[in-house]
Amino acid sequence: MSLAIAGRIARRELRGGLKGFRVFLACLALGVGAIAAIGSVRESIRGGLDREGAVILGGDAALQLTYRFADTDERAWINASAEAVSEMVDFRSLAVFRSGEVAERGLTQVKGVDSAYPLYGAVTLDPVMPLEAALGITNAVPGAVMDPVLIARLGMKVGETFRLGEQDFRLTAALIREPDSAASGFALGPRTLVRTAALENSGLIQPGTLFETEYKLRLTEGVDLDALRLEAKGKITGARWRDKRNGAPGIAEFVDRLGSFLVLVGLAGLAVGGVGVSSAVRAYLSEKTEVIATLKTLGAESRTIFLSYFIQIGVLTVLGVTLGLILGAIVPIFFAPLIEARLPVPAAVTLYPMPLVEAGIYGVLAALIFTIWPLAQTEDVRAATLFRDAGGAGQGWPRWRWIGLTLFLFVLLVALAAQFSGLGGLTVWSAFGLAVSFIVLVGAAWAVRLIARRLASARALRGRSAVRLALGSVGGPGGEAVSVVLSLGLGLTVLAAVGQIDANLRGAIARDLPEIAPSFFMVDIQPGQLDAFTDGLEANPAVSKVQSAPMLRGIITKINDRPASEVAGDHWVLQGDRGVTYSAEAPEDAVVTHGAWWPSDYTGPPQVSFATEEALEMGISLGDDITVNILGRDITAEVTGLREVDFSTAGIGFIMSMNPSALQGAPHSHIATVYAETEAEGAILRDVSNTYPNITAIRVKDAIERVSEVLAGIAAAITYGALATLVTGGIVLIGAAAAGVRARTYEAAILKTVGASRRTILTSFALRSALLGVAAGSVAIVAGGLAGWAVMTFVMDTDFIFEPVSALLIVIGGVIATLVAGLAFAWGPLAARPAQVLRARE
Amino acid sequence: MTEAILSLKDATLSLDGNAGRVAILKGITLDIGRGETVGLVGPSGSGKSSLLMLMGGLERASSGSVVALGHDLTSLGEDALARFRRGHMGVVFQSFHLIPTMTALENVATPLELAGVHDAFERARAELEAVGLGNRVDHYPAQMSGGEQQRVALARAAAPRPDILLADEPTGNLDGITGQAIMDLLFGLRDRYGATLVLVTHAPELAERCDRVIRLQDGTLSSDEHAKAAE
Repeated sequence: MSLAIAGRIARRELRGGLKGFRVFLACLALGVGAIAAIGSVRESIRGGLDREGAVILGGDAALQLTYRFADTDERAWINASAEAVSEMVDFRSLAVFRSGEVAERGLTQVKGVDSAYPLYGAVTLDPVMPLEAALGITNAVPGAVMDPVLIARLGMKVGETFRLGEQDFRLTAALIREPDSAASGFALGPRTLVRTAALENSGLIQPGTLFETEYKLRLTEGVDLDALRLEAKGKITGARWRDKRNGAPGIAEFVDRLGSFLVLVGLAGLAVGGVGVSSAVRAYLSEKTEVIATLKTLGAESRTIFLSYFIQIGVLTVLGVTLGLILGAIVPIFFAPLIEARLPVPAAVTLYPMPLVEAGIYGVLAALIFTIWPLAQTEDVRAATLFRDAGGAGQGWPRWRWIGLTLFLFVLLVALAAQFSGLGGLTVWSAFGLAVSFIVLVGAAWAVRLIARRLASARALRGRSAVRLALGSVGGPGGEAVSVVLSLGLGLTVLAAVGQIDANLRGAIARDLPEIAPSFFMVDIQPGQLDAFTDGLEANPAVSKVQSAPMLRGIITKINDRPASEVAGDHWVLQGDRGVTYSAEAPEDAVVTHGAWWPSDYTGPPQVSFATEEALEMGISLGDDITVNILGRDITAEVTGLREVDFSTAGIGFIMSMNPSALQGAPHSHIATVYAETEAEGAILRDVSNTYPNITAIRVKDAIERVSEVLAGIAAAITYGALATLVTGGIVLIGAAAAGVRARTYEAAILKTVGASRRTILTSFALRSALLGVAAGSVAIVAGGLAGWAVMTFVMDTDFIFEPVSALLIVIGGVIATLVAGLAFAWGPLAARPAQVLRARE
Repeated sequence: MTEAILSLKDATLSLDGNAGRVAILKGITLDIGRGETVGLVGPSGSGKSSLLMLMGGLERASSGSVVALGHDLTSLGEDALARFRRGHMGVVFQSFHLIPTMTALENVATPLELAGVHDAFERARAELEAVGLGNRVDHYPAQMSGGEQQRVALARAAAPRPDILLADEPTGNLDGITGQAIMDLLFGLRDRYGATLVLVTHAPELAERCDRVIRLQDGTLSSDEHAKAAE
């Protein structure tokens, strides 16, 4: 019964139009739209990765080997299992371009391919030409194509010749798109693509040098991929299997995690919008106090009135959420070409229902959480309000059941977000952080009001009418202090947190670098070259230290004869292959924490010294047997020692070091770190690459720059995600300023009547805006700083350094934003004629 | 009549309404002497309140002149008008028009502060005590009854000791007894400080208390009586 009546009342009230609900609708639509858009883009990338799985991988399945090519038997099995096979080899090298006396050198990730490449997709070259023609031999010089970034770095032009190791190549085109580039993962150097056969005389692929081979398979339709994977595991030892179902697992996981993190940032935006939603409902209901009192006078029960306004707000919520979903669905499709161009992976941009459902649920729950409180306060409006001020809507606390329901909905929202994002811990902590910020901001707003109220009557401020007017209005009843400080403060908190994370991410590498980092990592030093190489560098006065170690790569396959993953789960040491070294004696700086180093003349069964921290994490202890597959051969060694390995020094650090007799027989090369004066780096690079074309020098500065670029990209994505929050915060702020226009117009009229000049009134308006901005900004710095610290410490696992510049900018931004919003809406009140304003109130 | 403190010559006021431009006042000419108490009476819509607003410089005459204390209000800008009111005029409204974000004390102190009075708060407190609200100085308007709010408004208008007190139906929103008390206060203030009082009212018994009663009809003066007999 009451529902029907409530519905009828709601319908009649809604006939008044949506004028007072523009901020409500904008906040909800924007918050939901941002989350839906982020979710849609994430889904598009997932879709693209799924659809193009074979192209991204470069085959229906791929087998990767470290350090070696497949032997004849293995290759025969591969050929027999697939319709077509493409073999490729991948390694780092230096490309050297000589122009007269000057030689430019650039680190490059070389990929040698056969004529079957690519099995899927196509290589795009500039100028346009078939890959076959581009890589062909002309005048005994093989062709090569190169990433335009590297071409520019070397200052080369198409048609000119460069060198890889001891082999000349002619640059025939720029490599615009490599279909399977996403599957290759992170690379320090831009790509150079050549024929594998052309590398034969380069001296770059020798036993023991660091290279990987990959066999891409085109399979007949309907082949059981799992069965084939099992078979491959038995046939080819140490091979890593990937197939088209998850062509670029690293990227897929990265996109998922970043997407989920951005959805959390979006939720923070929705919380900011929630403040706007709540303010709009409060303002609406406060205007309806007389209507509510009248309805009560006429016999309406509290329940009927609550339902009537609940229905009205419900209708508006559905409208706002729908608008947001339309926005979130359309924007990615509209910007599809732009999104696709910016992504390194294909994206299937289309309409995805799941992200919309997720965003819709968040929107409805957020709207409920932020509107139940003011709606519940309608119960306390008394009919007597019509005759005297007996308490309107928006005063006092609602009944406990409503507070309980709000808390329940909040917990439900957090639980759903945790479920949807798959980032349970981060979601709960984010929600906790937001809730704490919320409470702190409300507290801050009350504190500001209290202080302003006290200051307004302070003796020292008597006579300073503009200041006192501002303080009086901030501290007085019915002011906008709480809603402005809350909305602006929450928005600024998110921005401050993002600012701190951004600055820390960007600075992390530079900051965490040890003071004396090596200038170069040199890889692929052949055993025969080591002594001459070391002696030559040590003779150079600009070189302060050269450290070298033998280097092999291997995959830990078993621990105590059980599959390694059963013992140590998905620990990072088990992800892919790891460097392994050997040494007769403990290195000078080694700190053996458990057990002992083998005698220097030890030749017995293999022994291994493992990194202490990783061993403890993986549950490995002294006496355990570890099986490492190196070059297809399983070597089982007993853990006889644990030692500290400090990776933060950027020096040589190996998880595993074995006794020499265990590994010496296997073909291997050496790596070296070279510590030199910065000015001498160019000359060292030139000398080494001239003397030893097969040795690849990786300049530490360049590597850091490349990693920094990736981190900066992530930081930028997070900042874009926070933009939605900023825009929502702006709308809430404008909403609050707009909602205050009536009160300010009235105030200005009275002030003019008692003799205040427009300057005094304007100064007072500006001061109150600035006061609220400073309050919100100050809380945001502390709360955002804490959030930044938590993310860096617990999520990124790195040190946090408070970044004062961005923090200060946030406060200044906050003050300017409130000032602009406040003053933009001050002209109306200032211009209004007092007589008209006051008469309208008679 | 003593020297004219307020002088209107052929003053008109037209305002834009929904149905187009409406002539509210149609050529008002009158002089009000220093210390006079003047009742403005007339039916609703006759222009009483508009005339009062014109006298206070709260509304600008469309034509003609409004001279107060020798200043032509029609030639002054918004801020000059505000500054003029500071020292010379006090206005009381039917709906009190207190600043809701200020306490009673702050409301009364504001015009004094704006006028640069150094002991604004002490004087405001004394003013509130004079209207019987010494115990409500820290209360906000919303915490007071209508009668109390109007007493605050009276204290605020009287505090700067204005030459002219303008009152627009000050008892219109109050019950009879409270209204009577407010009028006693208003006339008491006027008697104590010797200000000129212009009072818009519908109540004959209030008009009767004035030295002079001016009747308006449809935006023009229909009578101007110096006797104590009125409607």
